[in-house]
Amino acid sequence: MQGATQARRYRLQGAGLDLALPYLMLAPGLMIVLGVLVYPLWDGLRASTRVYRYGSPVADAGFQNYLHLWSDAQFLNALWVTVKFVALSVSFEAVLGFALALFCLHEFRGIRLLRTVLIIPMVITPVVVAIVFRLIYASDAGMLTALSNAMGGGEVQILGNPLNAFIGLVVLDVWEWTPLMFLILLAGLQSLPHEPFEAARVDGAGAWRVFADLTFPMMRPVLAVAIVLRAIDAFGTFDQVFVLTRGGPGEATRLISIYGYDTAFKFQQTGYAAALFVTIGLVVLALAFSAIRLLRRIDAS
Amino acid sequence: MSSRLARILTTVFILAVVLLPIYWLVSTSLKSNREITQEGTLYPHVPTLDNYIRLFTEKQFGSYLTNSLVVTFFSVAIALIVGAMGAYAIARFRLPFAAERKVGLFLLTLRIIPPVVILIPVYLLMLSLGLLDSWLGLIATYTAFNVTFCVWMMESFFREIPVDLEEAAMVDGDSRFGAFRRITLPLAAPGLAATAIFAVLVTFNEFLFALALTATPRAMTMPRGTATLIGRIDTDWASMAAAGVIGALPIVFFALLVQRHLVRGLTMGAVK
Repeated sequence: MQGATQARRYRLQGAGLDLALPYLMLAPGLMIVLGVLVYPLWDGLRASTRVYRYGSPVADAGFQNYLHLWSDAQFLNALWVTVKFVALSVSFEAVLGFALALFCLHEFRGIRLLRTVLIIPMVITPVVVAIVFRLIYASDAGMLTALSNAMGGGEVQILGNPLNAFIGLVVLDVWEWTPLMFLILLAGLQSLPHEPFEAARVDGAGAWRVFADLTFPMMRPVLAVAIVLRAIDAFGTFDQVFVLTRGGPGEATRLISIYGYDTAFKFQQTGYAAALFVTIGLVVLALAFSAIRLLRRIDAS
Repeated sequence: MSSRLARILTTVFILAVVLLPIYWLVSTSLKSNREITQEGTLYPHVPTLDNYIRLFTEKQFGSYLTNSLVVTFFSVAIALIVGAMGAYAIARFRLPFAAERKVGLFLLTLRIIPPVVILIPVYLLMLSLGLLDSWLGLIATYTAFNVTFCVWMMESFFREIPVDLEEAAMVDGDSRFGAFRRITLPLAAPGLAATAIFAVLVTFNEFLFALALTATPRAMTMPRGTATLIGRIDTDWASMAAAGVIGALPIVFFALLVQRHLVRGLTMGAVK
């Protein structure tokens, strides 16, 4: 069957000018991707082995830039802050998104409004999301301070305090991206087969048993994919931090992307920054592909 | 009865968590700075549109909006045309070295790498081409990002359309490309729409490359312009809030308009 359709597909290639058609159709896209994505990737690799001064290469550095990373306390701190940020944000988003999806699985009045409203946080420009939260956290004019004043309290300090600023950033991310987790998991729940659940109901299984024995195991693949996708994205978070805290106070919210950006554009250490980004790219790729392999194995068993 | 009450309370709570921050943004944008810092009111007692007027008369928000619309339109349109053709070639033809089967993995790899990784070389590339601070530089960059995404999405849509329809059209005298253009493309229109919507969303909201590649209102996009404005005015909360509203309004409006397609595009990848 597979062979027959394959054969027909190839016969369709025809003769004459049509023989060149696949290449003509592929060429424009390929040129753009090679020119603006693949060439820069290669160029970035090259830049990472050089020393730059005022934007031009002045010396070969070999692997020095890469070795230097692991004795750079600021790099290690940025890496640690990023890992903490991704782990905390994505865990909260998965739990809350799952709970919301279970809540919305059964139709009820107001659910359409709820779904519509939940789209808003994730489509708003990330820069604007950061503005929204600056207006909430600001110690003089923020919503938290205004509410606290209305209840007789005093100023609320968020962005001036390292721990609070970090928590504030996680809260922002959870607010912005829980809806995506919710939508993916809701689509997953809706695509589950009905029969096992009906059988469980006939057997009189309680809500918790149904969740632990049926819903959760069946949802594990979708949940895993959603978490991996979200974690990859969260690892590259930049816009929100750039506008909310610019990495501060101190280095409390300085994610790896912010540190890399500053290294390249503020401190003009082009080669070192390139090595940093190549390392990040490799780390994310390695994590993503091992996650995909793990998923395949779960699928197979 | 009590479970219904719990359901209503939960719904109201979720709505409040999502909408209160947005309410605060809009309400702050309608206050004067004096009202914001000195009176700390919970809603605008003396509503004013001054903050918005100032954005367009003094802060060049008209140019930012134009730049964003031009750049988004062209990079999405070009990527859709180019990407649909590429996706079709991969979905239907046999290529040397069985390349059509490897493209998927290649595109997935490109998508997983965080964009920030190629920020520096893309900056150097645009610098050497003299395309910094121009529409063309941004359009080229965003088109490349969108092409990978379009090919990735469209390939599966094309595979779902039966080959027989094209064969029939060719028997009736269509050329190979004619069969694609007249038969397959219209059938894939819903898929094209979902792809386009997602690309518009991501492109309009993009900030990192706009930050590195543009420097003046000549090419700055909405997110870039907004971030610059609030970088300069640390305590002008009223302008900041108005800029936030103006920056988000077009894309939120667009998203709510095309809601159904959007949800499909967002969730398809994961469940598939």
